[in-house]
Amino acid sequence: MRLKTSLLKEPKHILCHRKSTQHDELVSCVGWTTADELYSCSDDHQIMKWNPVTSETTRVVKLPDDVYPIDLHWFPRGIGGKKQSQAESFVLTSSDGKFHLISKSGRVEKSVEAHNGAVLAGRWNYEGTALVTVGEDGQVKIWSKTGMLRSTLAQQGTPVYSVSWAPDSDKVLYTSGKQLIIKPLQPNAKVLQWKAHDGLILKTDWNSVNDLILSAGEDCRYKVWDSFGRALYNSQPHEYPITSIAWAVDGEFFAVGSFNTLRLCDKTGWSYALEKPNTGSIFSISWSIDGTQLAGACGNGHVIFAHVVEQHWEWKNFEITLIKRRTMKVHNVVNDAVDLLEFRDRVIKASLNYGYLVVSTSLQCYVYSTKNWNTPLIFDLKEGTVSLILQAERHFLLVDGGGLYLYSYEGRLISSPKYPGMRTDILNAQTVSLSNDTLAVKDKADEKVIYIFEALSGKPLGDGKPLSHKTEIVEIALDQKGLTSERKIAFIDKNRDLFITSVKRFGKEQKIVKIGTMVQSLAWNDTSNILCGIQDSRFTVWYYPNTVYVDKDLLPKTLYEKDASEFSKKPQIVSFVGSQVRIRRADGSLVHLHISPYPSILHSHVSASHWEEAVRLCRFVKDQTLWACLAAMAVANKDMTTAEIAYAAIGEIDKVQYINSIKDLPSKESRLAHMLLFSGNTQEAETLLLQAGLLYQAIQLNINLYNWDRALELAVKHRTHVDTVLAYRQKFLEDFGKKETNQRFLQYAQGLEVDWNKIKAKIEMEIAKERERAASSSSGRTSVTVQQ
Amino acid sequence: MAQAALGAAGLHFDELNKLRVLEPEVAAQTAQLREECRAFVDKTAEFQKIVGSLIEVVDQLAKAAESEKMKAIGARNLLKSIAKQREAQEQQLQALIAEKKMQLERYRIEYETLCKIEADQNEFIDQFIFQK
Repeated sequence: MRLKTSLLKEPKHILCHRKSTQHDELVSCVGWTTADELYSCSDDHQIMKWNPVTSETTRVVKLPDDVYPIDLHWFPRGIGGKKQSQAESFVLTSSDGKFHLISKSGRVEKSVEAHNGAVLAGRWNYEGTALVTVGEDGQVKIWSKTGMLRSTLAQQGTPVYSVSWAPDSDKVLYTSGKQLIIKPLQPNAKVLQWKAHDGLILKTDWNSVNDLILSAGEDCRYKVWDSFGRALYNSQPHEYPITSIAWAVDGEFFAVGSFNTLRLCDKTGWSYALEKPNTGSIFSISWSIDGTQLAGACGNGHVIFAHVVEQHWEWKNFEITLIKRRTMKVHNVVNDAVDLLEFRDRVIKASLNYGYLVVSTSLQCYVYSTKNWNTPLIFDLKEGTVSLILQAERHFLLVDGGGLYLYSYEGRLISSPKYPGMRTDILNAQTVSLSNDTLAVKDKADEKVIYIFEALSGKPLGDGKPLSHKTEIVEIALDQKGLTSERKIAFIDKNRDLFITSVKRFGKEQKIVKIGTMVQSLAWNDTSNILCGIQDSRFTVWYYPNTVYVDKDLLPKTLYEKDASEFSKKPQIVSFVGSQVRIRRADGSLVHLHISPYPSILHSHVSASHWEEAVRLCRFVKDQTLWACLAAMAVANKDMTTAEIAYAAIGEIDKVQYINSIKDLPSKESRLAHMLLFSGNTQEAETLLLQAGLLYQAIQLNINLYNWDRALELAVKHRTHVDTVLAYRQKFLEDFGKKETNQRFLQYAQGLEVDWNKIKAKIEMEIAKERERAASSSSGRTSVTVQQ
Repeated sequence: MAQAALGAAGLHFDELNKLRVLEPEVAAQTAQLREECRAFVDKTAEFQKIVGSLIEVVDQLAKAAESEKMKAIGARNLLKSIAKQREAQEQQLQALIAEKKMQLERYRIEYETLCKIEADQNEFIDQFIFQK
C-alpha cells in the first residue's frame, strides 16, 4: 500500500487555453465548485464560469465598475452533517476595501466594508464557521459566517498579502513582509514568527492533511515548512518572483505559479514537472477537490487548466502508468506484455499491491487482479471522490469525505468503522493502517490516541478503548502477517521515537516498548513481520520486532543496520515488498535496497513450526543475526530445544544454562512459568504458578527475585512456607551484613526459629509432590492420547 | 504714286489688292507673331502636362519609399526584439533542460542502485550455488 502515492510519478500538464470568451484584463483569482466547474474573476469586473470537460464558458455576472476582485474562496462544502455535493457561495475580496459574499448564481448577498485599502485575501476556515480577511492596512480580521466582525486578530505596519487557516482552524498563518506569523485565535497563546524569505512573501498555503506550510515570495523561491516553522525545503531561485502556490487537497503535491511558469512539486519540495505556458504571471492557483486538476489565473486574461497524469505505480513485476486521464498502461516487465485499461470516468486514485489494482474514478471503483487485466470487478461508489485507498492482502479500504469503507476484493462491503468525531478528509497513509484483521486510525482531535478496529466487523477492538500514548503520534503501521492475537502496531511519536505494541489488550495495559529513536520513516514487510525504518543516519531492519516481548537484550542482535547517509537527509521509505526496500530521497530519486532474504524464509519456517528446517537454515547461513532471530522466535513459541541451539550459537551461555535448568523442572506449569520468567514476565509467571496451585514455587520465585514483600505476603496469605521466606531473608541479610528494618518481617520473625533442616525437608517434599503430580497428569494425558 | 498717297492716309493695299489699314509687312509680321504665340501656348500646355505626370510619378515613388522605410524600421525593430525573444526562449528551454537533467539524475541514481542490487543478487546466487 505504500506504492499508492509517492511513486515515481512524472505528471505533466495538458494545457488548454480558451481563447474565445476570455477575460480582457488580467484574471486575479479562480476557485472550483465541483470537480468540473470553475469560477474566475478578473479586472474586467466579470465573473466567469468554466467547465473544462465540455469546454463551455459562461459569464455569471458583471460586477459594478468600481469593484476590482483580488481573491476568491468558496465556502467549504458538506458542513454540519448536511451533505452538500457542492459549494453554494463564495467570498470575494476587492480593492475598494470590501469583501462580498456572492451566491453561486452570482447574486451579491452581502458587501462588507472590511479594510482601509484593498482586501488582499479572504479565507473560510475548514468548518465554515469563520472567515479571515487581510488587507493593505496590515490588519487581520476574523468575521462570522454572516459577515459580522468578530475580532481584529492582528495589526501591523505592512500589508498582509496572504493568509491561511491551521488544519484544526484554531490558528491563522499570515505574512508580514519577509516574515511568516502563526497566531492562535486564543488571545494569550504564543505567537510563532520567523523570517521565511529574503524578499516580500506573496503567497502561503497550509495543508490540512499533512500539516505542512508553503510560502512563496519575491526572492523567486518557494519553501516548505512544518507547522513549527522548521524549513523542510528551499527551492532554487527562479527567474521571476513566485506569484502563486497551492496545495492539492490530499497534500501529496503542490503547484507553483510564476511568470510563464507552472510547476508541480512533491510534498517534500522536489519538482515533478515544469511547464512553460504562455500565460504571463499566474496570480492564483486552485486545485479541484479530487486533486486531479488545477486552474491558474493568468496575467494575460486566460485561465489555464492542468491535469495531473503519468502517475506511476509499481509492484513486483508490474509497472502501471496513467497515460491519459481515463487510460492506464500496464506493463508486465517479465514477459513485456502491455495492457491498456480504459475507464469511463477520470481516474482519481489508484493503488497496486498484493496482486490487485484498485482504481477509483469519480463514480466507480474498479478492482483488477494482476492475473487478469481483462475483467475487472466494478462497483459504484457511494459518494465519489475517494481520498485514500489502502490495501491489505484480503481486503482494501476506501476513504472518502463520508467515512471509511472496507471492501473485499470481490467487491463486497465488509464493514464501515466509525468513531466519535471522525473526520475522514484529513486521513492519509501515515495516519491509517490496515492489515488482514485490524484497522488502525490515528485521530486528529486527540493526536495521542489510535483507534483500533476489527476489520471484519468494523467494531472497536477489545474493550473499545483506543490505544493511547504519552505524546502525539505522527505515523502508524500495522504488521501484515502472523496470528491475529499477535498483531502488532508500530508507531512514531512527535519526538521521532519508534514504539511497538500489541493491538490486543487482555484486561491489563499492554506494554508500549520503545525500539528506536530519531526514526524518520518506517514500513512493514508485506510477506513477513519484518520492520524497516530510517533511524537518524542509519537504515535499520528489525528482523523480528517481537523480540522485545521475548528477550529484550537480544533486540540489538536481531537488527540489520546500514549507513543511510548516502540517501541524504529526510529519506522516506516508499515500499518494502519481498526483500526489496524502496526509498525516496529528498531530491526525489528512488533508491532500491536489497536485504537478506533469509530472515523472511526463517519467518515462514517458524510460522509453520518447522523448527528443524529453521535450524538447518541458520546453520547454512551461519549468521549471528539470524541465530538471534531464531532464538527469540523459539522462545516466543516456547520451543526450548531450538532456543537452546540458537542461544548456544550466539554464545549466550547463561541463557543456555537457564533453558537447561527449565528443561529439568518437574512439571509443565513450572516450565511454562520459567519460560515466562525468561522473557521477563514475572507477574504472569507468578499468576500461572498460583493458578496451578504451586504455592511454594511461586514463593520461591519471588524469593529468587529478592521480591521479599510479595513472597512474605503470599506465604502469609496461604499460611505456608512463612519460615522459608524468613530463613532466606535472614540469610540474605547476613550475607550483606544488614539488619532487618522491614516492619512486617520483624513482626513475623518474632518467636519463629529458623531451622534450615526442616525447611530443606519441606522444600524437598514440595518438589517431590510436584513431580508426582506431573507424573500422574502426564500419564493421564498419555492414556488420553492412546485412547484417541 | 497713288500708293504713296494712300499710304500717307494710312491706307494700303496688299498683294490681293485688298484695302488694308496696316502696312502689309506689319500685317504679315503680326500674323506670324500670332502663329508663333499659338505654338508657344500649345507647347507650354504640353509641358505642363508632362510636368504633372512627372510629379505624380515622383509622389508615388515617395510614397513607396516611405512605406519601404517604415518596413525597414519595423524589420529592424523586429530583429532587435527577436534577439530578446530568443533569449527568453532560450531561458525557458534552459529551465526545461535543467528540469530534465534533474529527472535524469534521479533516474541515474535509481539505475545505479538497481545495478548494485543486480550485482548483489548475482553474488548471492553464485554463493548459493557454490555452497550447495
